[in-house]
Amino acid sequence: MAPRRADELLYDSEATLRLVDNELVELRGQSSPSSCQPDDNTDAYIVKAPSAIAALPRMLQRANAEINNMLQTLRQSRSALEQSTVQKLQATHSKLREVTSATEDAATSILDALDRTQGLLDALDTEDAGKSERSVSLRAAMRDELFDMMGKLQFQDITSQQLAYASSILTDMETRLAQIAVIFDLSDLGMEPLPPEPLSGPVAFDPHASTKNADERQKVADELFSSACEPDKGDA
Amino acid sequence: MKFLVVDDSATMRRIVVNSLQRIGHTDVVEAGDGAEALSKFDASIGFVITDWNMPNMSGTELARALRARDDAKSIPILMVTARSVKEDILAAMESGVNSYIVKPFTPQVLKEKIDGMQPAGAV
Repeated sequence: MAPRRADELLYDSEATLRLVDNELVELRGQSSPSSCQPDDNTDAYIVKAPSAIAALPRMLQRANAEINNMLQTLRQSRSALEQSTVQKLQATHSKLREVTSATEDAATSILDALDRTQGLLDALDTEDAGKSERSVSLRAAMRDELFDMMGKLQFQDITSQQLAYASSILTDMETRLAQIAVIFDLSDLGMEPLPPEPLSGPVAFDPHASTKNADERQKVADELFSSACEPDKGDA
Repeated sequence: MKFLVVDDSATMRRIVVNSLQRIGHTDVVEAGDGAEALSKFDASIGFVITDWNMPNMSGTELARALRARDDAKSIPILMVTARSVKEDILAAMESGVNSYIVKPFTPQVLKEKIDGMQPAGAV
């Protein structure tokens, strides 16, 4: 059976529950206490509500059928949850790992290229030694730019921590959904919930890692270390 | 002076090592986590730069382990990390870290911290 959309299943579940509720209201209406007080005289109540009692087996049968439909819907919900949502979470988790790996590879390639460029500048320094002050200053400026570019690659470490944090949230959601699926397992369905995939990739991360406001955050750290007064530390 | 640079990110290790070279420190040993750093630590190491979040052994655990050793009780430990919540900074301080750099950092900040932590006359 093709997995049904979660909103369709929810709608069906609600509709089923509404039908059961209607049946119960109908039953209550036919044996309304206003026409008869069963506590006062049970025999009179039975006599005055014969049609309701006669209809009771049929109503219970209908209620039973509706409840069975609802259970079936819940089973489908569980199946949809496992086959669709959990698998999508696992796929997203996998994508995040792929992004982390791709950015790390790219950062490494860029660092290699920067190293090679530095080497080329060193070669130019040797060839042009003493020839032109202007070219020396230009190469020095280029080195500064290359070095600055290298520093900017710190974004890779920070974003990988952010992605690891997002992955951990997904893993947590996946576990919780699997637990919900177990609750939905109201009868022997012969299905086991999908076990959450163990978190792989970077397991150590800072949930607050950010590339923003580094100066302000550095200032806070400096103030804390200054206020702690550390004359004994660091005196190797 | 020999530096021990500890970070689980190869990219960050290269950036820190390049930054050190830029400011004249070329004698560097690298480690991918605290446990590896401890295994590589010896009397020749004069300065430790470590990340916080690492598998196997974190930067704060490394700092505590070093402070427990007779040969590393007073070695300068600089933490370079993305963690910047006040409680984290205090925890790093409590673990024995001497100074703290928040990522992303600039080479200027790295130089200032190293200069500020080195004993007079150290090279």
